[in-house]
Amino acid sequence: MILELLQSLSEMQLVGELTVLSLLIGGIIMAGGVIIAKIAKLLFHKYYAPSLPKDTAQNISKLIYFGILIISFLGFTSSQGIDLSGIMVAGGIFAVVIGFATQSVVSNLISGLFLIVEKPAKHGDTIELPDMGVSGTLLDIGTFSSKVRKFDGTVTRIPNEKFFTSNIRSLTLSTVRRADATVGISYESDVDTAISVMKNEILQTMPFILQIPEPEFRIDELGDSSVNIHVFVWHPRDDWSNAQPILLNTLKRALDKSGIEIPFPQRVIWSGKD
Amino acid sequence: MKIMDTDSDVALSNYGLYDLESDLELFLPNTVIKFHRISDNAFSYFRKNSEGKIIEKIIPVKSQNLKIELAPIRPLNHPARRTSHMFLQFDKEIYLSENSAASIFVHCPIEIGIFLVHDSSHDSLDWITCNPLNSRFGLYGSPDTGTLCKYAKVSLATDYSDSNSYLEGVMQIIVENTLSFGQSISKIVFQITDNSFYYQNSKTIIDGIKITMKKRAAVNIADVKTTVLETDWPMSPTWEDKTASTHMEMGLE
Repeated sequence: MILELLQSLSEMQLVGELTVLSLLIGGIIMAGGVIIAKIAKLLFHKYYAPSLPKDTAQNISKLIYFGILIISFLGFTSSQGIDLSGIMVAGGIFAVVIGFATQSVVSNLISGLFLIVEKPAKHGDTIELPDMGVSGTLLDIGTFSSKVRKFDGTVTRIPNEKFFTSNIRSLTLSTVRRADATVGISYESDVDTAISVMKNEILQTMPFILQIPEPEFRIDELGDSSVNIHVFVWHPRDDWSNAQPILLNTLKRALDKSGIEIPFPQRVIWSGKD
Repeated sequence: MKIMDTDSDVALSNYGLYDLESDLELFLPNTVIKFHRISDNAFSYFRKNSEGKIIEKIIPVKSQNLKIELAPIRPLNHPARRTSHMFLQFDKEIYLSENSAASIFVHCPIEIGIFLVHDSSHDSLDWITCNPLNSRFGLYGSPDTGTLCKYAKVSLATDYSDSNSYLEGVMQIIVENTLSFGQSISKIVFQITDNSFYYQNSKTIIDGIKITMKKRAAVNIADVKTTVLETDWPMSPTWEDKTASTHMEMGLE
């Protein structure tokens, strides 16, 4: 019964030598290839990827997936009796036409390859693209585009060409990062005392602030109402949230404890009669 | 020998093994640790430190032969584990004249690990630091290429018996100057994961370090190597950082 069905399918010619049976076999090869590629990718992610660096794992995963797909496609073409050398000759002319039509697509593809080779940033790095106003965690450098998860949780897709040609500021390449804040004290207050109390408070209550290099204090400006002190502290690169957001609070607490005034803006107004 | 906590007048617990049969209370400076049997197969764990921080855990157990080991561990966990390097800044510089050697003892901060011991295996349960103010980070080198380290200002010790209970252990540093001129040392940076810790009662001693100041090509360098301590004091288990995680299995798409 089945043999008869296959026999009849092999006799049903579609175009030239192409029969329904050979097309069916080709379809099964391609479908099998896609399934095997997905399973291989899944198994790789489950058993091997966790022990590799994120970007290496992503690249190997893509290599496995697309490698199996290409092998399946070659199997499909050979099952159909398609001679690829003929396609390649005709494809030369066709490629020029396609090339012009898909310029931006190819540009993104090539940029993606360059990004993978040059590695200006790795998966999982915190980056900032000042030209585009995007900052967040790099999730993936894909075939045509890259994805960045911004700090508000949304994911931005950036075409690889734009990503490759824009300035990339890496926030995770150095071991340590610097946080800073400016605080103003009244002209009546002693600057050295203020610096001393702020430094002590930082070193005692902010465990993620580095002792070496020490917190640095610079008189930033003799302002209209206050002496403005700029404070710089260093912290481990992954602990920004334990430094920058609480630095001003710590400085204020230190000044409040010591009774050092943080002045409001003041204006002395002279009327004409005076 | 019992040490009393100056704040609460309770006898502090020594390092070592404690049988965990029903309830167990351990006291460290400004810290209370309590184990309570809540069923045949489970204990509760409670710890409160001087900063008011409370940690509570439930410990399901299979074995009936359970012990708790209290032991000094490397000072790498507070406030968070970020490095395996230690940066010790001496309170006084040590000067070595040309072609000379010296042996000194220094204090080195410690943390205290709490381990669950069963069937000869040690499970890392919790850690504490009794001196959080001396547990900070420092950078050796420049911000772009430097090494992040745990940083502590330390004083010289007289010998191995000079350990500050629960706070600092003692390590020996052998310094050798093979250069043709005198040299001062005010700090050392080393990978502390190579050094083992040993304890007795409330005292801690640590594997030593040998520093050789020498000329390599046109550069003067200090070569730092660990020296294994020969002692009959018990060696502390190695603390392993175990973070809580969730896991989800997914079917094939």
